[in-house]
Amino acid sequence: MVEVISTGCQRGIPGNVEMPLGVERLPNGNTLITDAGDEAGFGSEIVEVDPLGNIVWNYHEGLRFAHTGRRLRNGNTLITDTTNNRLVELTPDKKIVMNSDHWSGGTGQLSDGSHLHYPNEAFEMEDGTFLLTDRNNDRCIQVDREGKVLWSFGGKELHHPHNANPLQNGNILISDSDGNRILEINRRQEVVWSYGDGSTQILWWPRGAIRLENGNTVITDSKNHRIIEVSPAGKVLWRFQTEHVDKFYITHATKEATFLIACTDGHHQVIEVDRTGNIVWLFRNYRRPVSIYARLTNGFFKEIGENGWPKHWVLATRLSEGGGSVVWDQDHKPNPCPGLEYDRSGALFLQQSLMVTPGATYRVGAEIKTASAKGTACLHLDFFDSHGGSLYHAITEMPSGNLFTGTNDWTHDMFETKVPIRTTFAELRLYINDSGKVFIRNVMMNRI
Amino acid sequence: MRRKGMPIDKEISEKRKRQCLKLVEISKDIVRQAFDRFRPEELGITWTGGKDSGLTLWIIHQVCQDKGISLPKTMIIGEGDEFEEIEQFVERTKKEWNVPLEICRNEDVLKAANNTLNASIEVKALNERNRAELQRIGFEDDEFPFEAESYVGNHLMKTVVFNQFLERNKIKGIFQGLRWDEHPARFNDEYFEHKEGEYLAPDHTRIRPILHFTEKDLWDTYAAFQIPYCVLYERGYRSLGARTTSQISVEGIPAWEQDLENTEERVGRRQDKEKAMERMRKLGYM
Repeated sequence: MVEVISTGCQRGIPGNVEMPLGVERLPNGNTLITDAGDEAGFGSEIVEVDPLGNIVWNYHEGLRFAHTGRRLRNGNTLITDTTNNRLVELTPDKKIVMNSDHWSGGTGQLSDGSHLHYPNEAFEMEDGTFLLTDRNNDRCIQVDREGKVLWSFGGKELHHPHNANPLQNGNILISDSDGNRILEINRRQEVVWSYGDGSTQILWWPRGAIRLENGNTVITDSKNHRIIEVSPAGKVLWRFQTEHVDKFYITHATKEATFLIACTDGHHQVIEVDRTGNIVWLFRNYRRPVSIYARLTNGFFKEIGENGWPKHWVLATRLSEGGGSVVWDQDHKPNPCPGLEYDRSGALFLQQSLMVTPGATYRVGAEIKTASAKGTACLHLDFFDSHGGSLYHAITEMPSGNLFTGTNDWTHDMFETKVPIRTTFAELRLYINDSGKVFIRNVMMNRI
Repeated sequence: MRRKGMPIDKEISEKRKRQCLKLVEISKDIVRQAFDRFRPEELGITWTGGKDSGLTLWIIHQVCQDKGISLPKTMIIGEGDEFEEIEQFVERTKKEWNVPLEICRNEDVLKAANNTLNASIEVKALNERNRAELQRIGFEDDEFPFEAESYVGNHLMKTVVFNQFLERNKIKGIFQGLRWDEHPARFNDEYFEHKEGEYLAPDHTRIRPILHFTEKDLWDTYAAFQIPYCVLYERGYRSLGARTTSQISVEGIPAWEQDLENTEERVGRRQDKEKAMERMRKLGYM
C-alpha cells in the first residue's frame, strides 16, 4: 500500500509558478515573471501579472528552463529559452517573429561561427539590438536580430556570467557569477569598475547587478542569500536578507524605489521590498506538482512507472542542462535496478519527497554502484521549510552518504541525520554531476 | 619495556591535566544528573571496547565508586565479527571494575547465517520478531547477506539487539559514548535525548556524558589518568568497529600520536571528500 500525505497537483499547469528566475515591472504597472518550471522540466513559462495578482498574459509553448522574458519597446517579448539554447521574440498574440534557431539558414549559428550555449539574460539596447549573456560560452555578446555579433566580451575574463545589462553611460554591467565578481566594462572592453575579489565572503555566485540612478549598484548575491547595495567606492550601504534561506535570483528596481526579487524555487515567489526591507507586494501561485509520501516507497525498485522511471520517484532535470536519463541494469537480480546516466556539467537527481518528523533522527541506507563517474555521485537528503524552500545554503551542507567517484562495485552506504526543527518535508535524492553512471538498490530510511 | 595496553607513554603537562580534569568533571556531572533522574536499575551502559565507550565507562565507574554503588547493567553487542584483542580487553576490564556485563547478540540471525560472514540469510528462516523488524525498515527482498555494516545487518545486529536489551531490563536511561567531533551527524546531539517509544522500540532517554571531548581531549585524558584501552589503538587504529571493516589509519603509529585535528577519524572513501565538495559547490543556484 502506498501512503501519501499530499498527492500534489499536475505538472505543467499554466500559471503555476514553480521557479521564478526573471522579473520586471512593466510601464503599465504589471509584472512580467519568467518561470523556469518544475524540477522535472515541466511548466516553464512567461506570465504577466497585474497588481491584483491576476495573470493577464502567459506563454509556455516549447520553453525549457527559460530564464528571462523582457518586454521590448515594440510590445513584443524577448525570451531566453535557456535549455533550448535559443533566443525568441514573441508578439503579444504569441507569434514568434524571431528565433535564433533560424539564424544562418536554420543552423542557429551566429556570425562568428558559434552557437548560443545556455543563454541566461537578454536586454534590448537603444538601437534595438540585444545584449545577452551566453553563459556556457563564458561571454556576453551584442547581437542583432539576424545573429550578427556586434560586440563581445568574455573568454578568460568571465566564468559563467548570468547577467549583462547596458548602463546610461554606454558601459556594460556584468555579473561574473562563477568568478564571484561584478564588472563594469566600457566598449573598449576595459574594466572601469568592479566589486568582489573572487572570495565567496564578498560575493558568492552573484546572479545579477543593476546600477541605480544615485550611482550605487544593487547586487543579487545569490549564494550568500542577500541583496546588497554598494557605493562606487565599494562600501556596502544597504542589505536585504530574510530569516529563511532565500535563493534570490534577480533584482529589478522599480520607479517607486522598491525592488522586485525573484526567489526561484526557494520559496516559489516574487517579492517586492522597499528600502526598509518590508515586503510591499508578493506574487505566489504554487502548487506542489509531486506527491509527498508518508514513508519511503518503492525503495527496492520493484515497480516501474509508465515513463520508465522507478514508480514514485522523480527524475529531476532542473540542473541537467538538457542532459541525463534514467537507465536500468536489466541483468541485476532479482529484478532490474535503476541508475542515472549523465554526460555534461550540471547535475541530475532521482528523488522522492517524504514526510519526516522534525527533531527525530533517521538512518538512510542504500547500496550504490558507479561506472566511470568523472564527478561525484551520492545519496543525500534535503529538508524544506513551510514555504517549500530548502533549509540549506548550499548542496554541500546537506546530509549525505559517501561521495563516489570513478568506478565502484556495489557498496553499502549509510548515514544518519537529525531532522532540523523547521522542516516540513524531506527529499531523498540520488545525485550525479559531470559524466558517468550511478546505480542504486535497496534504499531504506527509518527513524531511529 | 612498558606493558602493552597501558599506560599511554605521553607527557601531559599539569596545565593540560587540569583542562582534562575539567572535561571529566563536566561528564561526571551529567552522569550524576542521570542518577538523580533514574534509579540505578533503570540505567544501562553501552560498551564496545573502543575508546569512546571506554572513557564513558571509566567516568561512570568513578561516579559509582563515589556513590558507593555498583555499575549499572552494561551491554556489549556481539556482531559475530569481533577483534580478539577487543574481547581480551573487555574480559580484563570487566574483572577489574566488576562490570555487570551482558553480551547481546541476535542469535536468531547468527544461527540463520551459520555464524558465517557473507552467508546468505533467507528471511523466512528468521523468527517472527526479526521478520517484523525487516518489514518495519522496508526491506523487500527474500534474502540478504550476513554483514554487520549493511543497513539490514546494522538494524538486526545492533538496533534490534539494543532495543531488546532495553526491553528485557526495563531500562529507562542508557549511557552512550558519542562525541560531537567524531562525525558531522553528531554536531546537534544533546547530553540527554528522550526517544519516544514506537512500534518495536521502547521509550527511553539516551545519555551522552562525553559529547564535548574532542579526539585529542580524549587521548590526553587517557594519558593523564592512565585509563586502560585496547591495544589495537597502539597499532594505528583510530576507530574500531567490526574486524573486517575497520582499517588501520596510520600503520604502527599509536592513535594519540597521529594528526588528530587535521585528518579524519574514520578511514574510508571520505578521503576525497574535499575535492568532490569543491566540484559540487560549483553547481548552479544550489
